Amino acid sequence: MEEIIKSIVLGICSGGIYALIAVSYVVIYKSTRVFPFSQAAVLIIGAYIMWYCTIAWHIPIWLGFVITCAGGAILGMFVERAFMRPLVGQPILAPIVVTLSLMLFLRGVGILMGKGDVQGFGESFLPVGAWQFGFLHLPKIQIYAFLLCAVIIAALILFYQKTRTGLGMRVVHEDHVVAQNLGINVKRIFQYSWIISCIIASIAGMLLGNIQGVGLALDANGIVAIAAVLFGGLESFSGAIVAGLTIGILQMLTIAYIAPLLPGETTMMVPFVFLLLVLFIKPYGLFGLVRIERL
Amino acid sequence: MNINRPCGTFDRNYFQAKELYRTPLRKTLLALFIIAMYVIPFVVGEYGISILTPICAFTIGMLGLQIITGYAGQISIGHAAFMGIGMYTVAILQKYFGFSFWLALPFSGLVAMAVGIIFGIPALRMKGLYLAFATLAAHFVIVYVISNWRSVTNGTDGMYMSRPGVLFGIDFTDDRNYYFLALTVTAIMTYLATNLARTKLGRALVAVRDNDIAAELMGINVGTTKVLAFGIGCFFAGVSGAIGGAYYEYVNVEWFGLDDSIWYLGFLVVGGFGSIFGAIAGAVVWKVMDELSTLVTPLTEALLGGAAFYASAAFSLLFYSLIIITFLVFEPRGISHRWEMIKRSYRLHPFPY
Repeated sequence: MEEIIKSIVLGICSGGIYALIAVSYVVIYKSTRVFPFSQAAVLIIGAYIMWYCTIAWHIPIWLGFVITCAGGAILGMFVERAFMRPLVGQPILAPIVVTLSLMLFLRGVGILMGKGDVQGFGESFLPVGAWQFGFLHLPKIQIYAFLLCAVIIAALILFYQKTRTGLGMRVVHEDHVVAQNLGINVKRIFQYSWIISCIIASIAGMLLGNIQGVGLALDANGIVAIAAVLFGGLESFSGAIVAGLTIGILQMLTIAYIAPLLPGETTMMVPFVFLLLVLFIKPYGLFGLVRIERL
Repeated sequence: MNINRPCGTFDRNYFQAKELYRTPLRKTLLALFIIAMYVIPFVVGEYGISILTPICAFTIGMLGLQIITGYAGQISIGHAAFMGIGMYTVAILQKYFGFSFWLALPFSGLVAMAVGIIFGIPALRMKGLYLAFATLAAHFVIVYVISNWRSVTNGTDGMYMSRPGVLFGIDFTDDRNYYFLALTVTAIMTYLATNLARTKLGRALVAVRDNDIAAELMGINVGTTKVLAFGIGCFFAGVSGAIGGAYYEYVNVEWFGLDDSIWYLGFLVVGGFGSIFGAIAGAVVWKVMDELSTLVTPLTEALLGGAAFYASAAFSLLFYSLIIITFLVFEPRGISHRWEMIKRSYRLHPFPY
C-alpha cells in the first residue's frame, strides 16, 4: 500500500512535465492538424541552451530562462516559416515526414551542441533537497518543476480563453476555411502555435535537463509523451493534463512492480503497450474529437 | 495503370492491354537494364558489390513500404523493425531449428507478415495519423522484445546467420554470387509489386488511399484492405531483412533504430509515392547517400580536429534530414515525378504538351 501511494505521488510529480510536453504537441495539432514529432527534439535544444547560458557562460538564471524561451520562439518561428508553410495543403504524409526528419535534424544539432556528451547542471537552478511526509520522500526539485508546469499550463489555458489571439486559435481549430472567412490570419495563427509550442517544449526541456542531466536521451521523454497525447485525445488540453499525469503514474508503477520482473527499459516500453491498448480500445483518446467525414 | 502512353500506340487485343511493357523500345530498355544489372559486378569489383547488395535488400523493403504508404496511404513509422523481424527470423530458424537459408527465406517474410497484421489491426478502426502511432508503438515493442529476450535473440550482442551454401554448382558464400541471388530475389519481388498494382487488391488499395469513404461505398472492405496492405508490406520488409542480414552474416538490434524507420519513410518521399520506380529510386538514393556520408566522415574529422567522433554521428543525421526536408519542400512528389516529366518532354519534344 505504501508502495502504491508513493508511486502515485511521485508519478504525479513527474507526470507534470509529461503533461507540459503533451500540451506542446496539442497546441500545434489543435491549430495546424499536423502532429509535430519534432517537439521531442526541441526538448534537447532547450536543455542545451539553458546549459550553455548558466554553466558555460555564467549568465544569471532568470536571464538564462528568458534566453531559452527566446531561443525556442525563434526556432518555432523559423521551422514554421521555412518548412511547414510550403506544405500547407499537401497530403497528410508530407508534414509528418517533415516533422519526423526535423526531429532527427534537431537531434543532430543537439549532438553538435553537446559535443556528444551528457552534461549536468553543476548545481540545479531549482531548490534541491527533499521534504519528508511520513514515509513519503518528495524531492523538492520535482515539486517545483511540477508547480512550474502547472503555472505554465494554467497561463496557456487563460491565454486561449481570454485573449483575442487565443479566440482566433480556437476558431482555427474549428475550421480553417471558416476562420479565414472571419478575417483571421490563419498563417499568423499557425506561426503563433509553433512559437508557443516550441517555447513550452524548451521550458520542459530545461526542467528535464535539470532533473535527468542534459543529453540526447531527453527526447525519450518527448516520445513517451506522444503516448500521453494520444491517450488524452489529440485536441484537448484537459486530456493532455490527465493523460500526462496518468503516464507519469504508470511509469512509477512500472518501476515499482513491472521492472523487477522484466529486463531492460520497461519504462520506455510500458507506455507504448499502453498506447497500443488505447488504440485498440478507444482510438480517439479520452477527450479527443471524433471528426465525422462526408464525401 | 500507365495512362500516359507514347503517341501512336494502341491496344489491338486484350493481350496487349494487359502487358506491363507495351512498346518494343521499353521492352528492349528493360531487358538491357536487367542484363546490365547482372553484368555490373564484373565491372565494379568488390567495393561496388558491397554497395549494390544492400541496395537490392533495401529496394525490397522500400517496395513494401511503397505498398503500405504509397499505394494504401497508411503511414508506417516502424518499417525498419519489421525488416529486423525478417533478419532475426532467419537467424533463429538457422540456429535453433537448423533450417537452411532457402527454407528460412519464405518464413522470414511470413513471420514479419503475421506481426505486421497484428500491429495493423488498429487500422480496422482508424486511419492516417493514428495508424502512424500504432506503428511507432510497434517499433518500440518489437525492439524491446528483441533486445531483451536474451535466451532466444542473444540480446544486444546480435546473432550470427549463414548464407545459403552451394546450390546447382553455384557457391553463394562468394560475394558476387550472393549479389546475383539478391538481385534475382529483388527482380521477382519488383515483378510481384508491379503486378500487385494491377490486381483487384491493388486497385482497392489505391481506392482506399484516395478516399476511404468512397472506396467503402464502392464495396471495398476498407479495414481488411488496410490490414492486408500492412501484411504484404511487412512480408516484403521481412524478405528484405533476410537478404540483407544474410549478406552480412550477422544481425544486430541496433541496425533498426527509430531513425532507420524514419529514413525509410523519408527516402520513400524522395523517391516518390505510388510508383515502383519511386521505391527503387528511394532505396538507391538512400544507400548512395550512406556511402557518401561515410566518405565525407574523414573530412569532417579533419575540419573539426580530433573531437569528431560525435561529428560524424551528427553529420549523417543532419545530412539525411536536410535532403528529405529539401525534397519535400521543393519537390513533394519526388524523383519519380521528375522522371515522368523528363520522359514526357522527351516524347513530346518540339511541343510543350
